[in-house]
Amino acid sequence: MAFHPRENWNPATHRRQVFTRRDFLQRAAILGIAIPALPGFLAACARRDAGETADLAIGTPQSPVQQPLFEDNPAIESGLSPETGPLLLYNWEDYMNAAIIPLAEAALGVEIRETTFLNEEQALARLSSGEVQFDVWFPTSQRIPVAVAAGLIQPINHDYLPNLGANVWPQLVDPYYDLGSRYSVPYVTYTSGVGYRIDLVDAADVEGKSNPWDIFWNPKYKGNIGVLDSFTDTIALVLLRNGVTDPFLATEAELIAAGDSLVEALDLVELQYSIDGSYSGIPEGRFGIHHAWSGDLVNSAYYWPDNVDLGTARYLWPAKSAGSTVRGPISSDTMAVLKGSERPVLAHMFLDFMLDEANALTNFEYVGYQPPQINLTPEYLIGEGWAADYLEPALVVPEDFELDTAWVQGPLDAPTEGLWSDQWTRFTSGG
Amino acid sequence: MPTNLASGAEYDTVGQKRWVWRGFALPGVVWLALLFLVPFYAIFAVAMGQLDPILQRATPEWNPFYWDPTVFAEAFADLFGGQLGVIALRTIGYVFLASAVCVLIGYPVAYFVSRKAGRWRWLWLMLILAPFWINYLMRMMSWVNLLSPDGQVNSLLLNLFDVTDPPSWLAGQHLVVIFGLIYGYIPFFILPLFAALDRIDNATLEASRDLGASNAQTFWRVTLPLSRNGVMGGLVIIMLPMFGDYYTPNLLSGSPRTRMLGNTIDQFFNQTTSQGAVGAALTIILMLFVSGLMVYYLRSINRATAEARR
Repeated sequence: MAFHPRENWNPATHRRQVFTRRDFLQRAAILGIAIPALPGFLAACARRDAGETADLAIGTPQSPVQQPLFEDNPAIESGLSPETGPLLLYNWEDYMNAAIIPLAEAALGVEIRETTFLNEEQALARLSSGEVQFDVWFPTSQRIPVAVAAGLIQPINHDYLPNLGANVWPQLVDPYYDLGSRYSVPYVTYTSGVGYRIDLVDAADVEGKSNPWDIFWNPKYKGNIGVLDSFTDTIALVLLRNGVTDPFLATEAELIAAGDSLVEALDLVELQYSIDGSYSGIPEGRFGIHHAWSGDLVNSAYYWPDNVDLGTARYLWPAKSAGSTVRGPISSDTMAVLKGSERPVLAHMFLDFMLDEANALTNFEYVGYQPPQINLTPEYLIGEGWAADYLEPALVVPEDFELDTAWVQGPLDAPTEGLWSDQWTRFTSGG
Repeated sequence: MPTNLASGAEYDTVGQKRWVWRGFALPGVVWLALLFLVPFYAIFAVAMGQLDPILQRATPEWNPFYWDPTVFAEAFADLFGGQLGVIALRTIGYVFLASAVCVLIGYPVAYFVSRKAGRWRWLWLMLILAPFWINYLMRMMSWVNLLSPDGQVNSLLLNLFDVTDPPSWLAGQHLVVIFGLIYGYIPFFILPLFAALDRIDNATLEASRDLGASNAQTFWRVTLPLSRNGVMGGLVIIMLPMFGDYYTPNLLSGSPRTRMLGNTIDQFFNQTTSQGAVGAALTIILMLFVSGLMVYYLRSINRATAEARR
């Protein structure tokens, strides 16, 4: 048992010392008198950083971690009766098959309400403010250490989750980011790579290359290339393309070089960015090549116009592409019970419901992101027509997490995020 | 003491009933306090606040004695000489160009509808506004379909004009984003201008002609000056939201070369965890800038009102 990191921080003591009258006058002088001289003076100022930061238990496949338990945040007891509903879910937008809700309502016998968020920053802001009350949250695995340290989620009692051990990949029953699934259970898994159309792009320009990421700098496809409007994913892409083994350990010089590469791509290929380019931009022909999450490519089938052959979609994950020597990102999203949940037993039962193979498959049919279920292998999904054979590279197998060429995404600390954000701003300002 | 002409009764502008008239300001004051001042203070508190050491999120500092101006100052410095300056200049360029085109297109339209359309003026006005019964986002989405590589615009170019290599409209064309801004905001320029032109007394125009002015001279010396406040009001109405617009470039272009300040603020708030304070600082700086435009507008209105009273 350990004390909660939050106990060591409160805003009042975290502030610098109490202001004296002289301090106040100095502040006033800075704000009021020095403003005209700000540009020159402030260029030398260091980027805002976190000052003191909490120790987070951040794991990698090579160095897995067990999240700490806290006295003030115990797991629920075994054998409790489920509470009355409604059960409140807090999920990404379009990240659950609508058919799941009535199925779960029938199985659990309570009403289920889903509220969605657009991004995790928004979700974290709301959850940490305490303004919203939900029972189940769907964080990315990168957020688990932060969510545990901030006391947002509660430990899971595995007695309520028979499907976890029975159905889920052993690698993710005992995941590197949360050994023993103390606080989370896996929801879906995915990789990031290159989505493209073989009627618009010569496959030989993508496949069989030692550095498949180079396709994003190929002037042959000028005006038809896009990257994800997600600076962590895109800066990571560039760092991996530039040969950085672990983007999170990139030096400032490597980050500046990544920014240079993005600016270079602006001139070379008129590189664009979008969040929907892989699942709707490629089908609509707005992009021939787009940086993609594997699940989005699988899901793109719903966006394909009638007059374009669905079979022209392709996905390549550089970590497993023949001849590739560069790494490729892999990650998973999770489900967790919020600490403030008023229906924790019901929340556990919902998690177990989602870990049921049939329910996971129903969900996959809509979201396109693959549940890490033992029996839902790529062979099964393709053989039964749940996924197209030409998109087989978009499907993940448990061993993918253990590849030397797989790069597992994790959280960025504030100073590093600032540096990454600076390079993204260089790119998004138009160079 | 003024007299209430309708009832014949006198009312006291300085006496006990004064609170009644002041009371009418109450909803406005409450509205401003709740929906402007409090959120504005919250944004300021975030810009001057700290980072939560666990969540790494910008957290507001409500006590001004503990405000830290570092981030605010950095954003200020970056706007005047850094990468953000490029985006700010582009935003200003887009907004001024789009506004200028709104004036060039909107003025003749408003003039025609208010002064030349006769009894059909309301029908004209309704037709102009009809597309805007549909949500702004939906209209922009429809332009995405029209302008997509295999969209109707390119089909037209291919079939009617035999253009073999039609442009990639959505691949980061400055003109497409400016067009989107014009299309999205022009009715909000036409409407106040229409009202201003409609209020011009015909007798004033007739007097001008009686004194020997030609139609063109009447327009330049009477109509245009009298409609100046309408033009200014329309410009303020469209320019303020244009400066903060981020959906138009998001939908009509995926290129960094067309990014506006609103997109950057959105990025800091919604894509980063720790950089929310930079977004808050940019929001405040943008507000100060558009406030400058607003002050100029109000001074112009006051000056015009004072001249009219003379």
